[in-house]
This record gives sequence, structure tokens and C-alpha cells, in this order.
Amino acid sequence: MSQVFDRRSVLKASGVAAAAAAVGGAVATASDVWAADGEPAFAHGVASGDPLPDAILLWTRVTPTPESTPGSGQGPTVEVAWEIATDNAFANVVGSGKVPTGPDQDHTVKADATGLAPATTYYFRFALGDVVSGVGTTKTAPAADAAVAHLRFGVVSCSNLPQGHFAAYRYLAERGDLDAVLHLGDYVYEGGGGGVRPHDPPHEIVTLADYRQRHAQYKTDEHLLRLHSLVPFVATWDDHEVANDAWSGGAENHQPDTEGDYAARKAAAHQAYFEWMPVRNESDKIYRRLRFGLLAELSMLDLRSYRSEQADPFDGDVDDPNRTITGPEQMAWLTDGLTSSTAQWKIVGNSVMIAPVLIPPLPKDLLGPLLKLLGLPEEGGVVNPDQWDGYTADRGRLLDTLADNGVRDTVFLTGDIHSSWACDVPRDAGAYPGSPSVAVEFVATSITSDNIDDITGLPPRTVSKVIEGALTGLNRHIKWVEVDSHGACVLDVTPAAAQMDWYFLANKEDAASALSYARSYRVRTGTQKVQRVGSPAGQGGA
Amino acid sequence: MAATFSRRTLLGGAAGAAALGAIGAVTASTATAAGDLRVYVLVVDGCRPDEAAGEHLSAVRDLAAQGTSFSQAKSITVAETIPNHVAMMSGVLPERSGVPANSVWDPARGEVRDLGEAGDLKTSTILDRLPAELGLTTASVLSKDYLFGVFGERASFRWTPEPMLPITNHAPDIFTMGAALDMIDDHDPALMFVNLGDVDRFGHADLSGSSLKILRTLALIDTNLQLERFVDHLKDKGTWESSVVILLADHSMDWSLPLSIINLTGAFDDDPLLADNVTIAQNGGADLLYWTGPEESRAEAIVHMRQIAEATEGVLSVHDPAELRLGTNAGDVVAYAKAGWRFTDPSVVSNPIPGNHGHPATEEIPFVISGGHPSVVRGQVSSAPAHTMDVAPTVASLFGLSAPEGGWDGQARTEAFQGALVGS
Repeated sequence: MSQVFDRRSVLKASGVAAAAAAVGGAVATASDVWAADGEPAFAHGVASGDPLPDAILLWTRVTPTPESTPGSGQGPTVEVAWEIATDNAFANVVGSGKVPTGPDQDHTVKADATGLAPATTYYFRFALGDVVSGVGTTKTAPAADAAVAHLRFGVVSCSNLPQGHFAAYRYLAERGDLDAVLHLGDYVYEGGGGGVRPHDPPHEIVTLADYRQRHAQYKTDEHLLRLHSLVPFVATWDDHEVANDAWSGGAENHQPDTEGDYAARKAAAHQAYFEWMPVRNESDKIYRRLRFGLLAELSMLDLRSYRSEQADPFDGDVDDPNRTITGPEQMAWLTDGLTSSTAQWKIVGNSVMIAPVLIPPLPKDLLGPLLKLLGLPEEGGVVNPDQWDGYTADRGRLLDTLADNGVRDTVFLTGDIHSSWACDVPRDAGAYPGSPSVAVEFVATSITSDNIDDITGLPPRTVSKVIEGALTGLNRHIKWVEVDSHGACVLDVTPAAAQMDWYFLANKEDAASALSYARSYRVRTGTQKVQRVGSPAGQGGA
Repeated sequence: MAATFSRRTLLGGAAGAAALGAIGAVTASTATAAGDLRVYVLVVDGCRPDEAAGEHLSAVRDLAAQGTSFSQAKSITVAETIPNHVAMMSGVLPERSGVPANSVWDPARGEVRDLGEAGDLKTSTILDRLPAELGLTTASVLSKDYLFGVFGERASFRWTPEPMLPITNHAPDIFTMGAALDMIDDHDPALMFVNLGDVDRFGHADLSGSSLKILRTLALIDTNLQLERFVDHLKDKGTWESSVVILLADHSMDWSLPLSIINLTGAFDDDPLLADNVTIAQNGGADLLYWTGPEESRAEAIVHMRQIAEATEGVLSVHDPAELRLGTNAGDVVAYAKAGWRFTDPSVVSNPIPGNHGHPATEEIPFVISGGHPSVVRGQVSSAPAHTMDVAPTVASLFGLSAPEGGWDGQARTEAFQGALVGS
């Protein structure tokens, strides 16, 4: 055991853990997050992320003094120690170090633990003085050239705190069989207001202090903290990490007259994100690639920072070749990676849907909630211009690249739309199934964010079925859509198939809500087509 | 090292038994079966991975379930029939085999021709080395005349493809499989190399290839019957448990609409430097471009060829043949088509067929190692990047045949077998 992490420290940590546990059930506000006795505290948990074969990013946030609340800009600069071991008793410590932090980083701590062994479970913790954090568990990625038989990822998106409890995170934490959790965006929401649990601060967040405070609030949710402490995250952002329907130069939910310069807001939001999330970042760039042996390569996209403004749903030109959703640099990075990868499954963490979705004609009472779910005006529209449907030139470039180069086994994992989808991704949807599918897309539903039954106030699985039938009837490549339920997904990957299992919450307003298995689709290697499976992976699935 | 599968070692008596005893994982039954080892390489010409996994090729799925399938398997470039069959049997790349494509410019003859003559293949193959070095018999049963031609008299026993269909110029699978079964019954070769041409030939001609794939589907159904017939024959004969079956495609297939054609000859004719000084060996999804003008203008001409080809609609990319390790007879520039396009040179009617290959869109293939032999690993899918050129080193490992001079370019797919392999 190291000098920093001595027996006395560990005993102190128990006290901190108890204090943190007392927060329990509900979430805490910024003033709750330091230890009750005035000692430093690790009240926002520990986390890890972006696993590499030989390294893992470790994260925590320390509250060194009572005034060092998130977003306060107050408190001293301190040096936080960390260590990582192969056993949870820390008898075999394989890495350690110290990281300075202070108000400039909102007292967040990031340590890149290197020199690790591939595909290995590790335990880690932090210390400031005598106070030691809780113990986190994490796992490195397999070696790049390793023959990997199996991977399993949690897949989540859209966790709006006032709209429910994060019981879906609890479900993933309890599984104990995940190599990583892939978060596809909308990890925090920018709005103010109440609901099941009020946001902190209570107003729409705009400043750096606001964003820091909001991230801190989310990281006091017991279910999220537990999941972070047990499984490494690989996360990207969507729009709500800044503001609704964000694009490179603005957002639908940003009013310059009252909220100031958008670039400043975006910079503040990104700074807080990088401070508070266990992601590696080069300057402001979040799109990145992680490898999991010969079996899979994961490309996490940023579809907000470089995109052109969304086209008007009525007279905008969604086909304009000069408009982009990725930006040219990210598109070149993505297509180069997909065509040159030596990994079998090319998994793309994709915040908004890429499969074409034509909005069906429906009675006004049904079309209205669907348009609201898609973020479209009441007058309707043929497509959702916030998705890849609004940037067809970029989609064509990407899908043509897959077809022209014979790239197979590409899987888009998507969030954003608060509903569950399984789709083939044809090169030419109008000619489908004559036009071959070049990839598949699995869309994870929201952890809590509202969908059709929440919007209509009608019982789930009633009128929603009409909407779902109209969507699949008009869009033949969409094999399944479910617009009522919330929960989490599990992606199981083997050389034979990639299978997505959906698990749905019984009641998102209940922190103790159960989740139950709902449905599975898989894509078998070489086919580029989704296929329904009758049971979760490992139980007769992939 | 020990001789798990080597007939020669087993025939060697006490020494062979001692060697086998050194491998703990090899059981007595394995050793007995190894003495009768037979390897069959079955090529479903032009088969796509999605077809191999689909509803019409249940025989392939069954073989995959009983063996190892490779989910990242690819042909070598150029994704054509002759170079990939040569790669399978030679285990080396075209720069060493001398066979980079189906069709090349032959300056000595002053013509573009298929590489379908015995002298075109410049390296040894396992068809000739197994008899010469280990005293084993080999056989070739190849449905296409140019395949029969390029392998010449390398195999111990050879079937002359017949009857040949007049338009597709290949022997239908029902006759090819009949010949393969006769070959087994009459000569019992240790290695037999079979090409089933229906799926490719009917795919080429399928005018509904970009939609319904009517001819193609009929061919898949028939080929499936022939594969079932093959497995049933071995089981009926009682040799299934001593057999290793390597089933793969040489390339896959891509279909283009009538107007999705690329004619580089016309584009080059508009360039004063290139006009009448470039010859094109058209290979469906790939064009091999040869400068035939003055040598001192070659470098400048290559720049022109690349620029014009890159700017032509439907062209995916252009390459230096050396970069692709294609060898000196592949010309000065190689151009690939995009998916859904095809080259037609020299004239716009030179290539009227809708189904083509040769371009990167057609490099993905099914590749299965199966059979009844107890050393075959069952029900495994591997992400290893297998290639057609891996067949020869895999077969060589099974029989204990050493690598050729200069080594293999391919790699023995040892993950498909349990226990140590000779030569691995």
C-alpha cells in the first residue's frame, strides 16, 4: 500500500462514502457536495473512460474546502493523488501519480493511467490528504491485434434529469458484464425548471459556472455515480450539452439578444464537459476512435460542432452539397478510418439518426406529438432536418464510401430521438430493398427524456402503435420503431454477429423502477441487414 | 515438429507414432484419421458474403456451423477469377505469380488477352509441389477454360471442363460436381481443387442483378444442391471424418445499370499525348492502363492517365501497380470503379454485362474451413483477416509441406484447427 493511501486514509474514506450515500435517492445541489465535517470530499464519485489497450483515463472531482462548490471558482489549488491496482485491496499497485487541480478546472481531476495490460480489470482511487475517494473499477481494451471472441457494451443516451430517475443506469451497473458504456449524447440538459427532480441551477444554463453546476448536479445521482464507478464510459455529446438543436454557429435554443455570444456559450459548455467527463480531449475535439482488438473499432462522432445550420423544413435545401453535418475534416477522418480499419465491426457512435426517415401522413392528433418528438414545427415537414436527413450530401459521401470500398459490418449506434429503432441503412432508400443495405443502425431510447406517451399524456402502447406502423410502412428499411418506452440497451459483439438488446423501464418517475427485457435485433456478419432475435444475447441470441 | 496430418510420417511407422505421441491434444482417433487426410478446396465463384449467409446456401451455413468461418475474408486485388485461383494454389501475390488480373496487355503478341495459359503462371503451386515433394496425388476440377489452362498439367489428375455453355463459356455446376465426385471415386486425391462457376456466370448475365437477381438466385439454389451432393458423397463413402473442406469465393459481385459505364479509351483519345498510345486491359471493375507510346514520355503519360481517370465519373481511385504489388505486367496505372459502375473498354459496348467484379466493392468473400476431420474447430467465427492466398499455406501446413522459396505471402489459418499443425 502506498504512503498516500495508508490505513487511516481508507478509514476516512468510509466516512465520506457514508456522507455521499446519505445524499441518496434524490440528487444533491451544489451546496451539498462536501463532507459534513468540513473535510475535503470526493462527493461526485469516481469514473473512468476511453479505454486503450495500455491506458485508461481516471476521473474524479474533489471539494477541498466548503466554499469550493462546483462552478464557484473558489477554493485552493491542491494536488490529488491517484493509484491503480490489479486488486481491490490495492496490494498490487501498478500505477500512481499526483495531479494538481483548482478553481480553473472546477477542482476536477483527470489522470491518464498508462503502462497497463490489455483486457484487464483494474481498481483505482484518489486521495487528498487523509481523505480517500471510493474505489472505482475499470477495464482496459484488448490489444489491437488480439483475436477477441466477445465484447459487450451498454448503450445509452438522453438523460434529462427533471423528466425522471436514472434507474436505467442502475440496471447497467448491476449487470456486471459490460466492457464499457457508450453514451451517445444528451448526458446533461441545458433547460431550467422542475419536473420529477428540479434542475440546479433552476434556470437555463448559459455561463461556465452554470454548466459546471449542472454537470455537478448530474454527478450526484446515485445510479449514475454507481455506473461511473464500475464501468468505463466512452461518451460523445449531442446538442443538449450546449443547447437544443445546436449547430456550429448557433442553436435553436440560443437567443443572442438575451443570452449573449453563442461562441462563448459553446466554449463554456465544452470546457465544463471536458472538465466533468472522463473523456480524452485534444483541445476542443471530441471525435475519436478506440480499438477493441480485431473484433471492433469504435468511432465516436461529433455531429454538432462543425455542422451547417439546419435547413428550413419547408424551403431549405437539405441536398445542398455545400452543407455539412460532420465538417470536411471529420468526414475525411471517418471515411479514412472505415476504409482502412483492420477490425471487423466498425461501430460508429452517432448522435443523430442516419437512416432516412420519411414522416408519414397522419391525423393531426397523432402527427403533432410525432413532430414534437422530432423537434419539428406543428406545420410538419417531410424529413427531420436535424438528423442526417438534413444533410444528404454528407450522408451520400459516407454511404458511398462504404459501398465503393466494400466495407462491411458497419453499425451505427444512435441516440437523440428518445425512442427505439432497428434499421437497415440502404444506399438508396427509394429503391430499397433493390438497393442494398450498406450498414445497419440501432437507436437507443432515452434514459428519461420524454417521448410520445409523455407528450400525449395517453397510455403507452395505444395510439403510438399507429405512429409506429405508419413509420415502418412508409420506410421499408425501418424494421422496428417503438416510441413510448425509456431504458437502456446492451450491444453484444462477436465475430458472428452484433446484437442490440433493448431493456425498458417500468416507470421513469420511480428511482427504484425495474427494467425488463423488451426486444432484440442483430446483424450477422457480412449481411448489413437487421434481423429480429427472440432473446437477449447470451441466451440464444448472437 | 510432429506430424499431425502428414501421411508420410504416419507411413513412417515407429518414428511417426513417436512424433504423434508428443502432441497431447491429438487423440488416437485423430491420428488414425490424419493418415487418410483429404483436403478439398471448393470455390463458389463470385459468391458474396451476404449470399453465403443467406437463405439459398444452407450447405455453406452448415459447413460454417461445423467449422470456422472468417468474417473479414477478402480476395486479393485485382478481384478477378484467375489471379485469385492462382493465389489460392500458390500462396503468393501477383508480383510473384505473374497473374495480376484476368486480362492483361501482352506486348509480345500485341494483344490484350486472358492469362489462361500454363506459361502465364510463374511460380510453383501446391498442386504440383505436393506430388513432387511429398508423393501425394492432387486433382483439379475447374469449370472455366482459362482456369483449366493456367494451371496446365500441375495437378496429378485434371478434368477438362465439359460440356461448355456457349455464352457463359463454362461447364455447369451439375457437371463439374459430377466430375469432382468421379475424381474422388476414381483417383482419391489428397488435394482436390474445384471451381463451381454457375453463381459467377449467371450473376454476370443477370439483368435483374441490381434488383431481383433472378438468374443469380436460381444459380445459388442449384449450387447449394451441388454442395449438399458433395458432402453427402463423402459421408456415404465413409471419408467425411478424414476430410477438410475449404469453401470460399474468389471474389464477389457488383451490378451496374446500363448507363453506369466508364469508357476511359474515349477520354484518353481526347488527350493529344495519350491518343492512340494507351492500351487498356478491361477487367470489369478494374482497368489496367498501359502506355504504349515512346518510353521517354512514359512518366508524363502516367500523370495524364491518372488525372483523366480520376476526373472520370464512376472511377473510384487510381493506383500505381507496384503499390498494389501486382507485378510488371499489370501496366502503368490501375483504375478501380465505384460500386454500381463498370468499365467498358475499348468501346462503350465492349462490356455489356451487368454483373462485374475487380473493384474494391467486390473484394469481400465467404471463407469457411470445415469438414468432418476431428481436428477442425467447430462453430467458430474468426475476425482474422483471411485472404484467398491463405489457402496454399493452410493446405501446406496440413500436409507438412514447407514454404516455397521466398516464403508465403499468405498465412496458414491455423485457428481453424485444434492441435499443432505440421509446418505451423
